Amino acid sequence: MSQEQIDKAITREYSAGFTTMIESETFPPGLSEDVVRALSAKKNEPEWMLEWRLEAFRIWSEMADPDWAHVNYPPVNFQEISYYSSPKSMEEKRPKSLDEVDPELLETYEKLGIPLHEQAALAGVAVDVVFDSVSVATTFREKLAEAGVLFCSISEAVQEYPELIRKYLGTVVPRKDNFYAALNSAVFSDGSFVYIPKGVRCPMELSTYFRINEANTGQFERTLIVADEGSHVSYLEGCTAPMRDENQLHAAVVELVALDNAEIKYSTVQNWYPGDDEGKGGIYNFVTKRGLAHTNAKISWTQVETGSAITWKYPSCILRGDNSVGEFYSVALTNNMQQADTGTKMIHLGKNTRSTIISKGISAGKSSNAYRGLVRMGPRAEGARNYTQCDSLLIGDKCAAHTFPYIESKNPSAVVEHEATTSKVSEDQLYLCLQRGLDEEKAVSMIVNGFCKEVFKELPMEFAVEAGKLLEVSLEGSVG
Amino acid sequence: MSEFINGLLVAADAPAWLANHRDAGSARWRDSQKPTRKTEAWKYTSLHLLERDFAAPGPVEPGTDALPDFGGLKLVFVDGQLQGDLSALALPEGVQLVQFADADAAQAEQIAARLGSVVDADKHLFANLNDANLSDGLFLQVAANVRLESPLHLVYQTSEREPAFTVNQRLLVVLGEHAEANVIEHFLGASPAAFTNGITELVLGAGSRLRHRRLQVESGGAMHIGGVHAELGRDSHLDSFHLALGSELKRVDIVVNHAGPGAHCDLNGIYLLRGSEHVDYHTCIEHAVPHCTTDEVFRGIMGDSSSAVFNGRIHIHPDAQKTRAELSNKNLLTSTDAEINTKPELEIYADDVQCAHGATVAQLDEGMLHYLRTRGVDRAEAEVMLSYGFINELVDALENEAMRDYLHPLLAERLTRDTRLTRHLV
Amino acid sequence: MLKIEDLHARVDDKDILKGLSLEVNPGEVHAIMGPNGSGKSTLGHVLAGRDGYEATAGSVSFEGKDLLDMDTEERAHAGIFLAFQYPVEIPGVSNMEFLKAAVDTTREAQGLEALDTVNFMKLAREASQAVDLDASFLKRGVNEGFSGGEKKRNELLQMMLLEPKLCIMDETDSGLDIDALQVVANGVNAMRGAERAFVLVTHYQRLLDFIEPDFVHVLSGGRIVRSGDKSLALELEDKGYGWLEDVA
Repeated sequence: MSQEQIDKAITREYSAGFTTMIESETFPPGLSEDVVRALSAKKNEPEWMLEWRLEAFRIWSEMADPDWAHVNYPPVNFQEISYYSSPKSMEEKRPKSLDEVDPELLETYEKLGIPLHEQAALAGVAVDVVFDSVSVATTFREKLAEAGVLFCSISEAVQEYPELIRKYLGTVVPRKDNFYAALNSAVFSDGSFVYIPKGVRCPMELSTYFRINEANTGQFERTLIVADEGSHVSYLEGCTAPMRDENQLHAAVVELVALDNAEIKYSTVQNWYPGDDEGKGGIYNFVTKRGLAHTNAKISWTQVETGSAITWKYPSCILRGDNSVGEFYSVALTNNMQQADTGTKMIHLGKNTRSTIISKGISAGKSSNAYRGLVRMGPRAEGARNYTQCDSLLIGDKCAAHTFPYIESKNPSAVVEHEATTSKVSEDQLYLCLQRGLDEEKAVSMIVNGFCKEVFKELPMEFAVEAGKLLEVSLEGSVG
Repeated sequence: MSEFINGLLVAADAPAWLANHRDAGSARWRDSQKPTRKTEAWKYTSLHLLERDFAAPGPVEPGTDALPDFGGLKLVFVDGQLQGDLSALALPEGVQLVQFADADAAQAEQIAARLGSVVDADKHLFANLNDANLSDGLFLQVAANVRLESPLHLVYQTSEREPAFTVNQRLLVVLGEHAEANVIEHFLGASPAAFTNGITELVLGAGSRLRHRRLQVESGGAMHIGGVHAELGRDSHLDSFHLALGSELKRVDIVVNHAGPGAHCDLNGIYLLRGSEHVDYHTCIEHAVPHCTTDEVFRGIMGDSSSAVFNGRIHIHPDAQKTRAELSNKNLLTSTDAEINTKPELEIYADDVQCAHGATVAQLDEGMLHYLRTRGVDRAEAEVMLSYGFINELVDALENEAMRDYLHPLLAERLTRDTRLTRHLV
Repeated sequence: MLKIEDLHARVDDKDILKGLSLEVNPGEVHAIMGPNGSGKSTLGHVLAGRDGYEATAGSVSFEGKDLLDMDTEERAHAGIFLAFQYPVEIPGVSNMEFLKAAVDTTREAQGLEALDTVNFMKLAREASQAVDLDASFLKRGVNEGFSGGEKKRNELLQMMLLEPKLCIMDETDSGLDIDALQVVANGVNAMRGAERAFVLVTHYQRLLDFIEPDFVHVLSGGRIVRSGDKSLALELEDKGYGWLEDVA
């Protein structure tokens, strides 16, 4: 590839970068115990929830920003961020149905390709949409309720299912787990809650769409999914934000609990605003995602990460129960000045636990893309198995690709296999495609898609198509 | 300054021209902190055994152990002190071999110019300690186009005595253009009072070839923190083999800097542990220039309640296009209490490169076990044979037959004390 | 010598052998033929005692003892030898070390005196000559980097040194050219005798041109569906295996 070709391909358009002109009620910037109290009051939370937040805030106040990831950014000033923002129309009167939702909001989601009216919605996908700090709407609730599935915003769940929240919140990601998890625990604003009862196979895909709109606002969503014994659920998550010159913080926590014989499939297509080609603006995506698998349970993470200025994210599985299974399939694409440090942890505690890690990193432009993983075989993990494959693809000679896999084994019958390779889009491959009449961009996008195939096939159909397109857009101009 | 920092510094006489090195090392060492488990490079290795007062070794008795003969010249150091006289050696034209303390002015100048030049002092704490405690060392220089064919076998023994003492070992090898040499570092001893800090610097001129072997067969209570720092000039070739039998504390940092295009490095190693032993290998291959290649293979077997660490880093700098680098690390745990922590790392800043690494922690291959058993070999012996084969593959690739013969029984004995199970291996 | 009665066996939860019966007497050569997937190789592994090959019903006795009750190496000591279709490579363990270990432990178990190293090496060299393998193969890792034909000859070499009573040869002919096949066949024929029996598992009739069987059995669907003399092999060569579906 010539430099010119590369440059051309790397120039990208961020189509979700528009701002919704809407009146919002936003907290003034700053973080203190009072802000936590105000936020809790705003949500009319019970005392126990407030106490839980305040304890998290105290823990956070004593922690330091982590510095071990392979990313560079100026220190985040947590006093310059606003910790709550909500569309005014939502503040005044919470809409009872979609008909009451502000048309501006509905239009925002239409533009993002997520129609909220059930008749127009994707068949078989129920959506919870989160706009800045609040959940705007959740579709198909009645239909899900028939199957006994609870799907609502976490704020509602605190009010309506306090026993479930109290039982599971913070059990997979404790408040003191890390700096950003502690911060999230103190100030999480909204997010989704899912409960699948015993033996139920969730009749449709569940999905949450996160949108940051307001400037200088952090988004701290919290998702909790509990799959009771023998149940099954597939959950999708999508994210976008407007183009702004300032960096915005997104520090989410996702907790999955798969009880005995349950299965949770969690898919993410992350397309937060990545900043411009000089690295101005973009989302700081500092996320803690973790699942706990009980006996014979299975947790599968699939992620396609193309956005964010900085990604710091390690969806993990604690394989506590015997025979439990963890999977991590990831495509992380960085372009321009983006930096990603992402990967997974597979903690094998139970016997005969199995994990598979397939990670595909694509670096273009001047970006930096690191896989960081931990596979730990505990002393009790007899017969446990892990297979890890990390492949990096470099496009252009200004980018970087790194692999930092930690392997710790304390069991002689456990087997761990890790392989990593690095390659580039070769001139020969391109030449062949061009000779067969494809244009450069198409050729590269085809090669990259081929490189990611193993991961894409894990995505639900609607998402797989979107992911492919997203990759194409993200690579625009990066190729030759 | 902490007890730890203080306790490891020893006073010793040193030639005046080494003062700069000593002072600089001393200053850096005194400014450092004792690494903890939170220090990434020391995440899995505890230094608590070094938290006591160490002395300089006193006068020594010549060692009496029978030593293997690998051919070529053999020099024996006991507690860091050379037994015998270098000036009596018959060396080929163009080969200089001198102790720092005996160096004449011209040699001192050559040594001072090179010493420490390939060590990144910011990253290697114990290299600073070595500088600080530097009183002597060995300098081997092979002039351009000269071949030192027969091996130079350096035996480093520590003696059994109290109180705790530290042996500060230093070797500087400089090969001129197209020079060739063959250097064997061979560490012995089992004293729980002996702490060896051994730094080896290898400077390979353009087109030169160095065969380097570092056999750390110290056992028991021996403590060794070592560093091998190599700089490879254009088209030079380093073949470096490492072996560590476990002991109370063993840590070796191996750094290879590809500094000239076309250089090649073969880096292989074995670690073999039992009891509560610990071995930690940190390797780092720096590809700073284009067209260099690296092949690295490390294998380890951990038995009983031993623990091993392997951290293998390959760093491709932005200009190092057309690099090919491959790393493989395979491990075998043979006991429920043993532990391995391995991290193969790739850090890549150039696109036209071929890099791959693989790491496994695995069991013996069931197919192989079955095959042996259908031939009548019982399971216990089959397991020992296969474990042996797993590491011996690297030993059998060594060209020096005497060294292979020396290592075979060591490996077998380390795998099991039951001689019935090793009788077909030795 | 070997008596298999109504043997059922499964691999990976899949039933492969479904009521196989066969009797082999000393001095006999039995050929077992059948299409792919009929269970031919499974039979060899069940007899040799491979993990994961589980006999679920029926019995196998070898010289009056319950074979299924014995460990893999005990079966070897009893005189059962399996020549593998795909011999594994064992890098780092030399062929000589491996052969000596096999012969020593087997002789030990059989109550025979150990061979001293000098005599053993002499025997090994003679055997390698007999199977047309250069003596340098004895120093290399077991099967390491050997070609397909060299691996098969190395199997034969082991068979000669271990002097088993029952030799099960699992598709030893597959992948061999005529010359190599001739070498293997000569080795087998030289070992034939009144006390030793052979079970040749093969897909092709070709092998039987070189090693003349006393009996030919056709295996299909996990059972022996037809038995006969060597003319049966020729018939199979003629008709292929397609007709078996009707029989099974």
